[in-house]
Amino acid sequence: MTSVLLIEDDAHIRASLGMLLRRDGYRVSEAASGEEGLDTFASESPDIVLVDLLLPGMDGFEVTRELRRSSNVPVIVVSARTGTDDIVLGLEAGADDYLTKPVMPHELPARIRALVRRAQLSAERGTTLCLGDLEIQPQAGLVKKAGTPVSLTRTELRLLCELASQPGWVLSRPQLLERVWGYDYFGDTRLVDVHIGRLRSKVEEDPSNPEVIVTVRGIGYKLVPPP
Amino acid sequence: MKNGAQRFGLRARVSAAFAVGAALLSAALAVVTFVLVDHYLLARQLQSAAHETFADARVVHRDLLQGGPVLGEVLSSLTAPEGTSAYLYQDGVWYSGALAFGYGPHISRPQGVPRALVKLVEAGQPARQRVMVQDRPAVTVGVPLNSVHADFFEVYSLEQLSRTLELLGWVLLGCAAATSAGGLVLGRWASGRLVRPLKDVADVAAAIAGGQLERRLPSGGGRELALLSASFNEMVGALEERIKRDARFASDVSHELRSPLTTIQAGIEVLQSTEAGLPADGRRALGLLAAEVARFSAMVQDLLEMSRYDAGAASLDLEELALDELVSSTVAAYTAGAVPVLVAPGARGLWVQADRRRLQRVLVNLLDNASAHAGGAVAVRVDRIGGPGATGEAEVVVEDAGPGVAPSERAAIFERFYRGAAAGRRGANTGTGLGLSLVAEHVKAHGGTVEVADRPGGGARFVVRLPISPPAPSRDARNRPAPPQRTPATPAAAGSTLSTTPDQAVKGAPALTSPHPLQDSALTGNRPPP
Repeated sequence: MTSVLLIEDDAHIRASLGMLLRRDGYRVSEAASGEEGLDTFASESPDIVLVDLLLPGMDGFEVTRELRRSSNVPVIVVSARTGTDDIVLGLEAGADDYLTKPVMPHELPARIRALVRRAQLSAERGTTLCLGDLEIQPQAGLVKKAGTPVSLTRTELRLLCELASQPGWVLSRPQLLERVWGYDYFGDTRLVDVHIGRLRSKVEEDPSNPEVIVTVRGIGYKLVPPP
Repeated sequence: MKNGAQRFGLRARVSAAFAVGAALLSAALAVVTFVLVDHYLLARQLQSAAHETFADARVVHRDLLQGGPVLGEVLSSLTAPEGTSAYLYQDGVWYSGALAFGYGPHISRPQGVPRALVKLVEAGQPARQRVMVQDRPAVTVGVPLNSVHADFFEVYSLEQLSRTLELLGWVLLGCAAATSAGGLVLGRWASGRLVRPLKDVADVAAAIAGGQLERRLPSGGGRELALLSASFNEMVGALEERIKRDARFASDVSHELRSPLTTIQAGIEVLQSTEAGLPADGRRALGLLAAEVARFSAMVQDLLEMSRYDAGAASLDLEELALDELVSSTVAAYTAGAVPVLVAPGARGLWVQADRRRLQRVLVNLLDNASAHAGGAVAVRVDRIGGPGATGEAEVVVEDAGPGVAPSERAAIFERFYRGAAAGRRGANTGTGLGLSLVAEHVKAHGGTVEVADRPGGGARFVVRLPISPPAPSRDARNRPAPPQRTPATPAAAGSTLSTTPDQAVKGAPALTSPHPLQDSALTGNRPPP
């Protein structure tokens, strides 16, 4: 049974989202603050964390950064503000995906399902790929750069695998959104851009001057096969 | 009726006043100068004429007394300057030293010696008179030579003087004209300086009216102007504060509604899964509740989006987009291929600088509008108008075959919460009332325009025009998006695109793996099932 940790200070939202998730068959633990959430995470090690960005005391950004320090657990941030920098900041802090309030009841399970599937998919498919000094072992969830293991979240790993599966081909942002996050055509392409940035910081020699994952202006990204 | 103040601008009037003032002043000065100079020069000329005449008269008198040479010779021997003639009148006979007159004696009075003067001199009184000789000014001085019973006259030409005065007159006229022109220029300059702050105020007021609420008048420029700009800026500041407060209020309200909405929606969702256990009335009530909450939720989202525009806080997330591809994919994904997208040959590979999410909302809202009021869109067209290069505009047209929009309503339908004549005709209203207003705001933010017209053959056509961005580099075959690797694409998605380019289908064919669009497209909750 997939377990979800819900960090949300509004008791009504916590209760109603918890109810919704339990109905869909998830095991749900609830925390009313960031500190409590981190404690619960340490004791219960849930499969997925859902964290509100606006929390009293330790806010959602800090919680996400703290979680990322020790774990690759999938994190979904919930923002009360659309269209602001909140979402990008949350993603940059290490979140895999985001939701905005009001959370559509069908949206929450869909996002969680996509994250779980992402974990399963990377475990199922693929043989070891070698691109230059980059070695990708999707089945083991392992990436090595010049022999040294690189720690990637599942989302980053999936993104890298998608780009590596068609080296030299440009993948558009909507394509990547659909393949990695399971969004339909109307997804938010900032998800792709932020994650590409994080991936670059881990696999590129010089992330500000990328040579492996290259931006194709106006279209998307491609992985440059080594010479 | 327009009065003079409106017909002529303030600047023109001030300039004219300066010019007229300068003209009057310089004319007065010129007249005074001319009169003074005229008097002075004439007086000198008359005085020297008198002196010379007396001197000559003494010579003539002496010669006559000594009974010297012939009278004519005496007269012609006088060293008279150019244009001077000497005459002697003795016993009713005139003698002259001038060749033109002949040396005499003559009976007739020579020109330039008026009778009145002769009479005066005959009475023993030296006299002078200004005369005209052959239309030229002259002065005649007469001296009685009593001891020889003769009168001596000399006629001096004043032509030199009059020429000098004429020249002076012209010079003074020229000076007056130049001064007037100078006055005009000075007037223009001064009024320009005077009017500039007014123009600044007008410019800034126009900018503020155009939405640049942060614009202010520069301070300084004199005490009076500082006062004007200070009170102007104060007024604008208060206005801005108030507008921002209103916008913030709308935004705050929307924000505050989102948390309870999340709870309500989740509660309804849980209730719906236990729907089977509810009585018929309860099921119906729950259905209505769910529909209205979904609409309410969409409305809150739209209000938030709108309040961002009102507060000037909306920032576009710009990227370069292939418009034809974006439109084709969005329409195909949203309508599940039910609406054909026709891309004109000139519009293939058309690039725009745009916010993908907002541009998609524009299309989705127009499609929703067509569904709500006209039974759905019948076609979406992408075209290019205007010249080549980056000068033209991209045009996206959404057409429906509904009742169309009356000309009187065409501007009003883009207003917020506008309920037209057709409102309520199609059963329950499922829109947020903000869809078309947001279309207008999104398009405006992109520097484009949106309008509605009649569709040939009936219905409405919404025309969105967007500026074209310069061509992006590196669009060779290798840089095309990769073909879909697996098979997630709905068959309708790519197939419905009636694009004639074979490679169009290769470019980012959309896919619908999730049946739920991202909640950001807020109207999806009300969208009729495809």
